[in-house]
Amino acid sequence: MPGHRTKGFCAAAAALVLSAVLAGCGGSGESAGGGKVVLRYTWWGNPDRAARTEQAVALFEKQHPNVRVQTSFSGYDAYKQKLAIQATGGDAPDVMQLDYRQIDQYASGHVLLDLGKVKGDLRTAEIDPGLLATGRVDGTQYAVPQGRGTETVVYDVKAWKASGVVLPRKGWTWSQWADAVRALVKKTGRPGATDPGQSEDAFEVWLRGQGKALYTNSGGLGFTADDLARWWTFTDRLRREGAVSPAEQTTQLDGSVENTPLGRGKATADFNWDAPSSGYLALVKGGVALAPMPSGEDGTPGQYFKPSMFLGIGAHTGHRKEAAALIDFLLNDRQAAKILGATRGIPVNETIREQTASQLKDFDKTVADFQSSLEGSLKDPPQAPPSGDNALQTTFQRDYDQVSYERMSPRRAAENYVTEAKAELRS
Amino acid sequence: MTTTATPADAPTTVARKPVRWGRVAVHLGCLAALLVMLYPLAWLLATSLKPADEVIASLNLLPSHLEWSNYKTALDGVNGVSVWRLLGNSLLIAGGAVVGNVISCSLAAYAFARLRFRFRGPMFAFMIATIMLPHHAVLIPQYIIFNKLGMVNTYWPLILPKFLATEAFFVFLMVQFMRGLPRELEEAARIDGCGPFRSFFQVILPLTRPALITTAIFTFIWTWNDFFTQLIYLFDPDKFTLTLALRSFVDASSQSAFGPMFAMSVIALLPIVLFFLAFQRFLVEGMASSGLKG
Amino acid sequence: MTTTDVPAPTARPPRPAPAAKRRPKREREGAAWVFLSPWVLGAIVLTLLPMAVSLYLSFTDYDLFNPPHWVGLRNYIQMFTQDPRYWRSVVTTLTYVVIAVPLQLALALVVALALKTMRRGKGFYRSAFYAPSLLGASMSVALVWRAVFNDGGTVDNLLGTGGWVNKPGWALVAVALLTVWQFGAPMVIFLAGLQQIPAELYEAAAVDGAGRWRQFLSITVPMLSPVLFFNLVLQTIQAFQAFTPAFAVSGGKGGPADSTLFYTLYLYDRGFVASHMGYASAMAWVLLLVIGAVTAVLFRTSRSWVFYASEGDR
Repeated sequence: MPGHRTKGFCAAAAALVLSAVLAGCGGSGESAGGGKVVLRYTWWGNPDRAARTEQAVALFEKQHPNVRVQTSFSGYDAYKQKLAIQATGGDAPDVMQLDYRQIDQYASGHVLLDLGKVKGDLRTAEIDPGLLATGRVDGTQYAVPQGRGTETVVYDVKAWKASGVVLPRKGWTWSQWADAVRALVKKTGRPGATDPGQSEDAFEVWLRGQGKALYTNSGGLGFTADDLARWWTFTDRLRREGAVSPAEQTTQLDGSVENTPLGRGKATADFNWDAPSSGYLALVKGGVALAPMPSGEDGTPGQYFKPSMFLGIGAHTGHRKEAAALIDFLLNDRQAAKILGATRGIPVNETIREQTASQLKDFDKTVADFQSSLEGSLKDPPQAPPSGDNALQTTFQRDYDQVSYERMSPRRAAENYVTEAKAELRS
Repeated sequence: MTTTATPADAPTTVARKPVRWGRVAVHLGCLAALLVMLYPLAWLLATSLKPADEVIASLNLLPSHLEWSNYKTALDGVNGVSVWRLLGNSLLIAGGAVVGNVISCSLAAYAFARLRFRFRGPMFAFMIATIMLPHHAVLIPQYIIFNKLGMVNTYWPLILPKFLATEAFFVFLMVQFMRGLPRELEEAARIDGCGPFRSFFQVILPLTRPALITTAIFTFIWTWNDFFTQLIYLFDPDKFTLTLALRSFVDASSQSAFGPMFAMSVIALLPIVLFFLAFQRFLVEGMASSGLKG
Repeated sequence: MTTTDVPAPTARPPRPAPAAKRRPKREREGAAWVFLSPWVLGAIVLTLLPMAVSLYLSFTDYDLFNPPHWVGLRNYIQMFTQDPRYWRSVVTTLTYVVIAVPLQLALALVVALALKTMRRGKGFYRSAFYAPSLLGASMSVALVWRAVFNDGGTVDNLLGTGGWVNKPGWALVAVALLTVWQFGAPMVIFLAGLQQIPAELYEAAAVDGAGRWRQFLSITVPMLSPVLFFNLVLQTIQAFQAFTPAFAVSGGKGGPADSTLFYTLYLYDRGFVASHMGYASAMAWVLLLVIGAVTAVLFRTSRSWVFYASEGDR
């Protein structure tokens, strides 16, 4: 009998039992709060945003000694899953950060509190009315935008300048953009930009440039198969010419800047949202600059200021007053604004935006300058997209994959998409 | 194949026939296979030391210089929670799961493999069927149940199911092992007056030790890596695990920190490597080495 | 042998113990329920109940937020007749099962047998071959895998094939290789099974003058067959349900051009991204039935090749 082995085994087993007991104990430490109101506040982001949020929340707790805020965060994709399951289980947090695409679903699913009920505790007067309206569903305000962003053509400054191609400028059109990427591939030998055909966001900008919209006000499809077929024919031709990234590159997009053609050094420009573009700085040796999105042929701007995120209150919260106070603090408190900076997008409170603009540094300043260069020239944002859009965003990419891998004509893929979209929006 | 068919534990008189070349060939073959298999791991390790612009973009294995700050960032923890706390939480959950699975699955397996009771056939079939339903389909009902029990944001939803033998994989595994044991063992014990409980603890359990160790190892590793369950049931950052914290470095909507994420992966890997190394040696002992006493 | 009160279900249960010699039947049945009690509790509360709910949901339209409403067979009809992407996911999954399962099991078995012959370095090899399986399909593994199988990546440099993960025909192979690469679990189970074979059997065979090949065929294979069967059944089930490798490698999208859109990945997409939980539940139940049928076939064939020592020679 191998005695020593058995002993070792027993020791290991004992250690495990002990840890299990401890685990059991750890689980029961729930009732901490000490008579205080405990608010659960969840959001998505990265560690930097977490550090700044913690600081702001600590300040709020100091000002409201009767409230304890329990924060929790995850990355975007994980957050969306977690929140959906919590909400379904009737366990939505008191204060939650929401995405544009979630508003409609969460509001119509009775997860969010009608903010009209907490008007006195939550001031929204200093938010641009057009922007504020994006948090409204069927006339009721369910969420308040917390920051704003807009799309941009982000490009490798050094490479673009060296190519001698005319730099992107305000008011340029889609056909000027197409000429530019064609010229870029000739001069630099690599595609001018990421193929925008896969991006529902880019398509929306193109569509708005023609005075149309992704969705009608009643939540139906705002465009026809013809529109989409024209867009995909446009991008497909550029792809075949090599002016935009090939399918093998485009398919690797996963939301991170690292996997974009620009980030991998395989293209000169990319489409992205303004704030996340800071990620390119570490990847593109020649530095990056932000340019406006191309507009329609008659100069109609397609891009708009989009709320980068919203804040909402759980419908079943027991502390709506405190929850509203927290949101009010995060949006309107000057000290909070100072701490948060532009970590959640450029602030929506206009007074605060002006006051903090001068304090912004580095890429935050680049973004703020970019936005102020567009100020006043853009149209109002559309209302929050219908909940079916969550699925359609992926469907859009999938159907365009069929085009870029040359398995379907743009026309047939567009018709497929419209059929799928109509079914999705009906249910 | 002839060389590989020899059991190492077979009596030495048989195995000592000169097959040296065969042995050398087996070693060489294994080493060659390992070279290929461990290459991605080397990549993982190397990437954890790469500066930000090389993590994804560079296709070289080796970093241009060693970026230790990735580890420094990772060791600082996430959201004000130290890496040690995260490690402790992970250990508690994985350790609790191991204990739960080993106890509850072996009990159930013994009943299925060796005892008679009514509805055994249908219940066995049901147990196998529970492995077949994709877990995404039962996620929401399970969440609602745990929420009703007031267990969300505690470790109970992660540990309690293991004490209730819900992982049919392991029940089935142990059933297969117990059925491989000769019936005479228990017959002898029974004639000596052992009831089912004594023959379970004194005869069957010691002999199924390889299966128990296997269960312990798999449970530990799989629980450790089970991101999704931890994600939905844990709310408080204080209760987060290493696996959860790892994902906090990656956020598609803002800026990801892939370098620290890789460093954190390596840190999160260490405990399971140690656990595997500590327990895998017990795998060697089975009936073959401890011998049959029956 | 008294095969009495066991009905014949699809999945054949183990044979009953021979009737107790001294103890009354009642008492032994009571003992069985004591052993089973944790499992029964878990099965009812945490498994049966949620399964029943999901079965009900499969006949409803349920968007996660509003109460489900009954639509009868609509989800099933839509799935079979109006959803080309569903059928694409079926084909993809079947292809994957056929590639990944045999490769993974063969590799695990060969390595386990090779390790068994070794005298030195066993622990080292066992740990080293298991190492990839420690990682699961985490995000870092996904990134490494993409780096290795990307254009300009290691495989491209060595073989000059270009990237794999970004080509519709090859991405599935890259995903399958990730599964095969992590063959540690079946390998460990094989090793445990090999350890359980009594050394006496080999001694006796050696005395009878049986050679190694003969010992392998008449001792190792039959004695290992319950474990081989276990691995085959479980790996097949897991392959049908494969989710994480494809989710990781394709970043959750199942691309390029739906080439890695596995069944469960599409199910997840329908249920949690598109919020059609009713439809996703229907998909889950169809999958359950298909896996159940495949498993039943495996169990049936097992009668002719799986040998249980507890049941003697059959």
